[in-house]
Amino acid sequence: MTPDILALLVEAAGVTAALGAVSIGAGLLLGFAVSAALLSRRRPLRGPARLFVSFFRGVPLLVQLLLIYNVLPAVGVVLPGIAAAALGLTLCTAAYQAENLRGGFLAVPPGLVEAAEVAGMSALQRFWRVRAPIAFKLTLPALVGEAIMVLKASSLVSVVGVVELTRTAQDIAASTYRPLPVYAAAGALYVAVDWTLAGAGAALERRLRWGAA
Amino acid sequence: MTRRMFVKAALGLALAGLAAGAARAEDALARVKAAGVLRVGTETAFAPFDFIDAGKHVGLNVDLFEAAAKDMGLKLEWVALPWEGVLPGLEAGRFDVVAGPATITKARMERYRFLPPIADATAALMKRTGDADIKVPADIAGRTVGGQKSSAQLAQLQDFAKTLGKPVTVREYVANTDAYADLAAGRIAAAANSLTNIAYVAKTRPDTFAVVSPPFGPKSYFGYIIPKSPDAAPLADALSAEILRMKADGRLAALQVKWFGSSFDTPDAVTDPAL
Repeated sequence: MTPDILALLVEAAGVTAALGAVSIGAGLLLGFAVSAALLSRRRPLRGPARLFVSFFRGVPLLVQLLLIYNVLPAVGVVLPGIAAAALGLTLCTAAYQAENLRGGFLAVPPGLVEAAEVAGMSALQRFWRVRAPIAFKLTLPALVGEAIMVLKASSLVSVVGVVELTRTAQDIAASTYRPLPVYAAAGALYVAVDWTLAGAGAALERRLRWGAA
Repeated sequence: MTRRMFVKAALGLALAGLAAGAARAEDALARVKAAGVLRVGTETAFAPFDFIDAGKHVGLNVDLFEAAAKDMGLKLEWVALPWEGVLPGLEAGRFDVVAGPATITKARMERYRFLPPIADATAALMKRTGDADIKVPADIAGRTVGGQKSSAQLAQLQDFAKTLGKPVTVREYVANTDAYADLAAGRIAAAANSLTNIAYVAKTRPDTFAVVSPPFGPKSYFGYIIPKSPDAAPLADALSAEILRMKADGRLAALQVKWFGSSFDTPDAVTDPAL
């Protein structure tokens, strides 16, 4: 394990972390929108949202990535590999996070929402000031778990030409024929990125718990 | 919708159709020249053509395409995919040409156009250094041998195995490097690939790998792949001329010596492949 090989792996871990961060962030925003649609009283919103969730939760991520990469060009959308990877991970995690958030929204005490209504808040205000923060707080442990799943799932994106941590480890193992130290180092780097994520989640949870929602 | 509006809409549609036609009329070469970039798709686990050495993409393909792009006043953009994804990527228009290279076979010639061959692709076997059980290719009878999924060499290995007395278990790998790793680890008795690839690997790791002489497959050649469409023809002609130019002025032979250890003769075009 030479320093320059370790440097390559650390650099690749940066790609993995950046891809994970973008997908998790965008997926959370989209997940909020989809969960709101899932809980909507309007059927034209509910149907497509359910379809979205069942497709992106039900189809293996590998197949989704290949679809985005190889089928979209047929309708004139040629995404570079990194964009296809981010889009695939975002859509997939948005479906999971929407379901997690839906559970959170259902667990918001109805009394609180009624109190907000009596206090004169509009529906939008009730959503952003009462329901969403509480749902987010209730869902946070599951969301952090999902974020870690996304990070691990990002090891698949080399099929669309993105060289991330797993692929870099494979390349190095293939050219040095020393798989053991290379994969061990890659594993350690995944754990390091996971801890960073989980730590950020825990800090956020503490703040939300003691601060005003 | 009044009649006038309808006429306007029809005119608009006709104009849009014309514009789209005009955009399509530009062929692949014109598009590449306009963008100033040649996009090359390949797999980076195919030493000595394309591989990752200490994190850097190197190989004969890198040198050859860089020289060609320089001559044509273009920049290069590499797209690295697993081999199974490379040809679908070409069909989806993700890149203009496939480096690979791929073995020139009848089946592939029906679907794609090949640029002039740049190397020998005749199939051979590689074993672990010092494995006395395998002296000639026929010694793989009754053993387990690996090769790359959807490669011409794997197909030849399966054909060759049928001619042997005892059944051969053929294991398919996504990348040749995976097969080499299993060979080094003792999970398979030999790995099949072109002699060109194997000779390079055995030369760089003589303590681990050795070539089994002679090659077992019929004579075949490696070439780069480009779509067969009329749209791609001008680009294919330009790249073919470029490769033939490099052949004539000795640059191709110099690259072969650099990456294979020796140069060898290749035909200017393969019209009737043995495979």
